[in-house]
Amino acid sequence: MAKHTGRGIAAIEYPTGMNQNGDPSQCWIKVKPDGRVDVFAGTADIGNGSKTIQSQIVAETIGVPYDWITYDNSNTDSSPVCTGTFASRATFVAGKAAEKAALQVKQKILEIAGKEMEIDPADLEIVDGEVLAKGAPQTKLSVADVAAAATWGHGELITGTGAQLKPYAAIIDPETGEVDLPPHSAISYAACSAEVEVDDETGEVRVTRLQQCYDVGRALNPSSVEGQIEGGAMMGLGLSVLENCYPYYPSVEHRGGSFGSYLAPGMEDMPQLDTIMIENPSADGPYGAKGIGEMANNPQPPAIAAAVYDAVGVWVTELPITPERVLRALEANAEPRREGKKVVFDEELSVNSVSSGGIRFEVPA
Amino acid sequence: MKVVGARIPRYDGVAHVTGRTAYVDDVRIPGTLWAKALRSPHHHAGITKLDTTKAEAMPGVHAVITWEDVPLLEYGHLSALGIPADEPLLAKDEVRYLGQPIALVAAETEQLAAAAVDAIEVAFEERPALFDLRQAFDSDAPKIHQWGNWYTHFEGEMDRRQIRKGDIDWAFENADTIVQGVYRPAAIEHAPIETQVCQVVPEPSGRLTIYSCTQALYFSLGVVAAHLQQPLNRFKLVGGTTGGGFGGKVDTATETMTCLLVLKANRPVKWRWTREEEFLCSSTRAPWHMELATAVTKDGWILGQKMLTLHDSGAYSRFSPYGLTKHSFHHTGAYSIPNLSFDGYVVYTNRVPTTAMRGFGVTSVSFAVETHMSRVAKELGLDPIEIRLKNANRIGDTSPNGVAYTDPSTVATLQAIADAIGHELPADYRTMTNEPRAGDLLPEHLVAQVGSTEGH
Repeated sequence: MAKHTGRGIAAIEYPTGMNQNGDPSQCWIKVKPDGRVDVFAGTADIGNGSKTIQSQIVAETIGVPYDWITYDNSNTDSSPVCTGTFASRATFVAGKAAEKAALQVKQKILEIAGKEMEIDPADLEIVDGEVLAKGAPQTKLSVADVAAAATWGHGELITGTGAQLKPYAAIIDPETGEVDLPPHSAISYAACSAEVEVDDETGEVRVTRLQQCYDVGRALNPSSVEGQIEGGAMMGLGLSVLENCYPYYPSVEHRGGSFGSYLAPGMEDMPQLDTIMIENPSADGPYGAKGIGEMANNPQPPAIAAAVYDAVGVWVTELPITPERVLRALEANAEPRREGKKVVFDEELSVNSVSSGGIRFEVPA
Repeated sequence: MKVVGARIPRYDGVAHVTGRTAYVDDVRIPGTLWAKALRSPHHHAGITKLDTTKAEAMPGVHAVITWEDVPLLEYGHLSALGIPADEPLLAKDEVRYLGQPIALVAAETEQLAAAAVDAIEVAFEERPALFDLRQAFDSDAPKIHQWGNWYTHFEGEMDRRQIRKGDIDWAFENADTIVQGVYRPAAIEHAPIETQVCQVVPEPSGRLTIYSCTQALYFSLGVVAAHLQQPLNRFKLVGGTTGGGFGGKVDTATETMTCLLVLKANRPVKWRWTREEEFLCSSTRAPWHMELATAVTKDGWILGQKMLTLHDSGAYSRFSPYGLTKHSFHHTGAYSIPNLSFDGYVVYTNRVPTTAMRGFGVTSVSFAVETHMSRVAKELGLDPIEIRLKNANRIGDTSPNGVAYTDPSTVATLQAIADAIGHELPADYRTMTNEPRAGDLLPEHLVAQVGSTEGH
């Protein structure tokens, strides 16, 4: 009876945006008479930080301080279409719409500044809330003064709109699944190493360390990206060793109807987390960003399953890897069936064992 | 650049951690009625009687709704994509999962609403239930829908999602080893701190203001408008701040029914699910059943992969056909596998419908493909990082759908992890990039099989 340690590896990929695309997001922006910027978008912030990220994109694109931005996603009267906060699309798709709207605002500010300063707008730039003559930054006009001039002098509203929509990627051959266009906005990648400690007496699996590397495209806000990666790791840990709506699936007995009877990860389950970010920019995301929110709970389960094998020599391929499943696997100590060049694991779980013939999984030899 | 790339504190962070963020349940509207649902006590049953007369007559009860009150009873989560609807907003003559809503009551208090629910006269004829999706195809399986136990509308008329690439028979004939395994990740509750909740207010203009916890304002607006057969501007959806979603609050679980109660009562109504309802009646992440057979050479090249996926959709389709399609598009994981055969089914069972959750469709396949890859490495006695690098997708390799990868990072992320754990890679693997394969890392027999070799 002893505790055994093990390590497992996983590598994964995950798409940004809805599968097959066709999911629009829109944004519109107006500028107040003192240059402060109001952003309207329909992206619900579910804790993913999209209010912050889209505000950063707008501030950066126009060239004004972050704290000049207000962001309103509060209702469908004032905000334009956003398909929703899912499919890792809020930073890339909705963020791209915000970037496009901000570019229009920037152009409008430069046009009005050009009139005020009697300089060709192409020779002007906006830096930190001021319109500067390129190469002669002492010649300048604040964005606040430009906005005031627009409002009280030129009788204009500085505004901008943006929409992002990648066309629907159709399946052109239902037999093969071939598509006519890339069915995603980008693809992100990650690799993970999991370390575990398995008690062969109690069957308990403790995840002690997760080292993870993500290609995030561009970390628009590194704290926010780390939050997604670390929070996702804890959800992945839950999927791996704790959570289950149906503890005796497929049976529906013993469902937990409260937090007291549903094992979600808590602080005491938190392993050492090491996060590495690689920035390999996407071709057309805002500032090279990719979406990594959803994939953040994908690499841990396979890495942990492999680490459990490394520790105690049993494969548990039904999640979660509970003490009961570990102990049963240790007791059974099952070997795969070997026949010719075939190595067949988990036969007792296969449709070939459980179905009375309605469906089969046939593998050519 | 100063703002992009900066560690700027979260826009709403201080409000969240000091409890000052207003969520839907914080909205206080004078004169609000409370909603409660009559839910199915059976996994599968016919409804033989439904009489709301006594409940409606109770003092303090202002509205009771059943399927008869819904202008468009069935509107699918994917109807906008042309996928047929199969789930009634309120059960009509059959219930297919425990907890399925049958009727709703709006009353002066939550307690009174619950008492009125108890006063609804309802009778059932229990039917056999199906829980094991592996048995759904058997001739003696309980039948969940009139058309059968699995979804039949992929690309209009196919009963499965299918991928075929290359020559799968060639791969299995030429393999040194064929490794088979079965992978079954579990159903997961989204477990948001904020349970499903909705407050609807009738405005003097005749419009309805819907305070919603949805993750997708315009999607939910469209769903409500379709069920009620009204233009979009009849409603103002107020939201944008969600107290935990993780995919479960794309479902638009409360908004439409609460609007129907408001239209009948002409009073504001709030419907707030209990924690128990959230756990037992809200949708979950799907359980999946995946069988993999991988044809490999003794030095670890993956020649081909055959896969069968059964996606436990629960009683209705919701987003499952979308999730399974996404799953199929990513079923090779981070690798280039030249010969593929994939069949996937959306299978109905008598459990609460499953829906989107973080990583939808792909979390399952990542678990299956990657655990399987670790098994293959063990079986062949190969290093788990090297076998992954060897098969990693590279520029010009094609996805299961024939789309060329433009800039994959499988190699770079694996090298970073090898470095982080102090795992010394051989020179070939240490210097590998995502450029197309060449030289020793492209064996003769794979030249025609793996990726592009132009210019090498």
